Amino acid sequence: MDRGDSKARFANVVIPHLDDAYSLARWVTGNRADAEDVVQEACLRAFRGISGFTGGNGRAWVLTIVRNAAYDWLRKNRPPAVVHVDDLEAVERMRSADDAPPAGDNPEAALIARANEVKLEAAIASLPAIFRETLVLRDVQGLDYREIATITDVPIGTVMSRLARARRRVIEMLGADR
Amino acid sequence: MTMTQNDRLLLNAYIDGELDPAHVLEFEQRLAEDRPLADERARIEALRGAMRERLPRATASPELRRRVAALARPRPFGIAKQQLAAMAASIMVAFAVGSAATYLAIRGDRGELELLVSSHMRALMASQPVEVASTDRHTVKPWFNGKLPQSPRVIDLAAQGFPLVGGRIDVIGLTPAPTLVYRARQHVISLTALPGSLGARGPLRPIDGYNAVEWTDGSLAYWAVSDLAAPELENFAKAFRAGEAEP
Repeated sequence: MDRGDSKARFANVVIPHLDDAYSLARWVTGNRADAEDVVQEACLRAFRGISGFTGGNGRAWVLTIVRNAAYDWLRKNRPPAVVHVDDLEAVERMRSADDAPPAGDNPEAALIARANEVKLEAAIASLPAIFRETLVLRDVQGLDYREIATITDVPIGTVMSRLARARRRVIEMLGADR
Repeated sequence: MTMTQNDRLLLNAYIDGELDPAHVLEFEQRLAEDRPLADERARIEALRGAMRERLPRATASPELRRRVAALARPRPFGIAKQQLAAMAASIMVAFAVGSAATYLAIRGDRGELELLVSSHMRALMASQPVEVASTDRHTVKPWFNGKLPQSPRVIDLAAQGFPLVGGRIDVIGLTPAPTLVYRARQHVISLTALPGSLGARGPLRPIDGYNAVEWTDGSLAYWAVSDLAAPELENFAKAFRAGEAEP
């Protein structure tokens, strides 16, 4: 592929998803400057690998590269943030056994609905990385389960359980903070 | 009634519209009868609503957008206009000299060229392509002193149409490498010198449209990388080599 082709493809496939790319990187890294570095690195990788894009879902392709670049960044700069997935799921399984939500008139739902931006961001930011990215891909980026499974390279069942747990934890944090 | 993990998965999938129609009917019946389940649904819906309404949409800054767009522009040097507004065009010469041991470790078939092309592209995307900006080689050369064990030879090629822009330090593999930046016409060239000589080798194939020329001088291998047309890049290489012969 000559340069003109790859540049045109890059412009068509990658640039339209730059806001999504930045948004995901921002949620994974937690700040603007690092997110920009991650997006820049991801775009370079996307540019180098554009001939490997076979068509189809450009957004998922771009977000997969951003996600991988973000994790490389985390591994390098925040090693403790990248918890081994198996360990984390084991911890989560132990937790979820006894966290039945309280019944009643559901004042929690009202509380959650009123949660301000700062609290909401803080609650999401405090999630472990793999839970946070699943929640963000679903409820911020609006991707479906299949797309999230592709991007995060796990089965759909894992996406489902991560999403359920991520939401439950955020709800607990918002509900508990009265 | 306690909610099982499976109930939670179904509930989330139901809310996300990921349940198939048969299960949707069944699940809606359960929701009508199961209060804790219905309460949890209300909480999740509240969370989704709050995330949708309250979280600010993160958007890429104009600066980031500009840098990324520069990759797709016909002229990679479209960036860094502020510093280089006066220059209609630029050549970047990356001139890297490092430890032979670390360099050899990263040296592969096409590996080193890919590293150099990547470095070149990263520099083009950075907000500032040089750390020291000067057209005077007597300013650029001393800048490297004290930063690296060896400072590169800096040659004035303005008369040949390749004025100096400045310099910076790149890391090629694990080797910190002094980088000189030149300009000429409307294209960008990276010339890198790494320790070690090269065996006989065929012409380098372009990577992502960037051409490359290489030659050996003494104990150093020189690499020129650019989006400049191959014959013009050869001319640059010739000019640089001729320049070295002078004091």
